[in-house]
Amino acid sequence: MIASVVLVIALAIDPKLYHESYWPLQFGTLVTGYGILLEILNHVLAPYPGAEKFARFSGLMAFAAILCFALIAPRIFPQQSPGTVIEFERDLRSIQAIFVFVLLAVIFYYGIPIGRNMKGMIMGYGLYVLTSLMSLAVRAYAGASFDRVWDVVQPLSYDGSLAIWLVALWSYCPNPSPDPNISLEEDYEALASKTKSVIGAIRNYLRKAARA
Amino acid sequence: MIQLIFFLSIGALLFASLFLLARRSARPEGGSGALVEARQALSTLQAGLLPADMVKRIFTQEDWEYVRSVAPQKVRELFMEERKRVALLWVDQVRAQIRSLRRFHRGSARFYARLNPRLEMELAMSFAALMGACSLLRALVYVGGPYAAPRMVGAMANAAARACKVSEESLSFLNAAQLGMLNSRPAGRAAL
Repeated sequence: MIASVVLVIALAIDPKLYHESYWPLQFGTLVTGYGILLEILNHVLAPYPGAEKFARFSGLMAFAAILCFALIAPRIFPQQSPGTVIEFERDLRSIQAIFVFVLLAVIFYYGIPIGRNMKGMIMGYGLYVLTSLMSLAVRAYAGASFDRVWDVVQPLSYDGSLAIWLVALWSYCPNPSPDPNISLEEDYEALASKTKSVIGAIRNYLRKAARA
Repeated sequence: MIQLIFFLSIGALLFASLFLLARRSARPEGGSGALVEARQALSTLQAGLLPADMVKRIFTQEDWEYVRSVAPQKVRELFMEERKRVALLWVDQVRAQIRSLRRFHRGSARFYARLNPRLEMELAMSFAALMGACSLLRALVYVGGPYAAPRMVGAMANAAARACKVSEESLSFLNAAQLGMLNSRPAGRAAL
C-alpha cells in the first residue's frame, strides 16, 4: 500500500519517475510477500511442530526444484530466456505460489483447523500471487501485446486481495486451539506402535490369503 | 511454450488448493473423537477383520468346491452372491479402519517435533498405495467375484508391505522397554 501511494505521487510529479520507481518498488513488495508467507506459516503451524517441520521441509524441496528448473531451463531453451525483469518476477512469484500450495497441502493433509483471519490472509495473498503469476507468465510469453490486459488485471487482483483482507481481518478471530487430549506423545507412540503391529498383521494375513 | 505451460500449471495447482480452502469447513480434526475412532478401528482390525481364519474363510475356494460338487445351480448362484457380498464388506471394513488409523496417525504426527519429514512422506505414499490397492481389490471382487481375489490380494499385500517397512523405520526410536511400559499402562490412558 505504501508502494502504491509512492507510485501515485511519483506519477503526479513526473511519469518518468513513476517508470523508474515501478520495478524497485515491485521488488520490495515481492520480498515483503515472503515475510507475509512466513508470518502465515508461523501463525498457522506454530502449535503443530510436526506439521511445521514437514511444511518447511516440503517448502525447501519445492524451492530446490524450482531453482533447478530455473538453472536448467535456460540451458535447454536458450532462445526463450532473454532474462527480463518480468521473467525474474515471474520466477519469484512461482516460488511464492509453490510455498502457498505446500502450506495448504500440509494444512489439508494434517487436518489443521484455521480461523477466519488466517484463512482470509491466505486466500487474499494466494489470489494475488495466483493472478500475478498467471499474468506475468503470459506477459513473458506474449510480449507487450498483453500489456493492455495486464494493466487491468494486476490492479484488480491487488484491490481484490485487499478487499478480502479487509473483510477477513475486520475482527479478531483466533485459530482454533488444538485438542489437548490428543497432544500426548505417549498416545502418539502407543498408536504408532500399534499401527506398526496392525500393518504387520495386515501384511501377514494378506500374504497368506494371496497364497491361498 | 514449455515454460508458459509449467508456470500456468503451478497457477492451476494453487487455484485448486485455494478453491478447496474456500470450501473447507472450520471443523477441527484429529481431536479426542479421532482417538476414540482409532481405538475402535484397532480393536476391529485386530479382533474382527484380520484373524487368519476370517481371511482364509472368505478368500479360499474350499467352500466353493464343496458347494459346486453337491448343490444345484440355484444354490451355487446364491452361494456365490453371498460370498461376493461378504468379500466386499470385508474389503470395505478393512479400508474404513485403515483410513481411520491413518487419520489418527496424521492427527498425532502433526504435534510430534521429532517427526521425520522424508519418512512421513513415504508413509503417506504407502498409505495411499494401500488405500488404492483396497479400492482396486474391491472393484475386481465386484467384477470378477470373490475368488478372483488371490492375485488382487497379492497387490494389496505388496502395498501393505511397503507401508509396513516405512512405518518400521519411522518408529525405530521405540524400544522394547518403552513398549512394555506403554503396554502396562491402565486401559483408559494408553491401551492402544
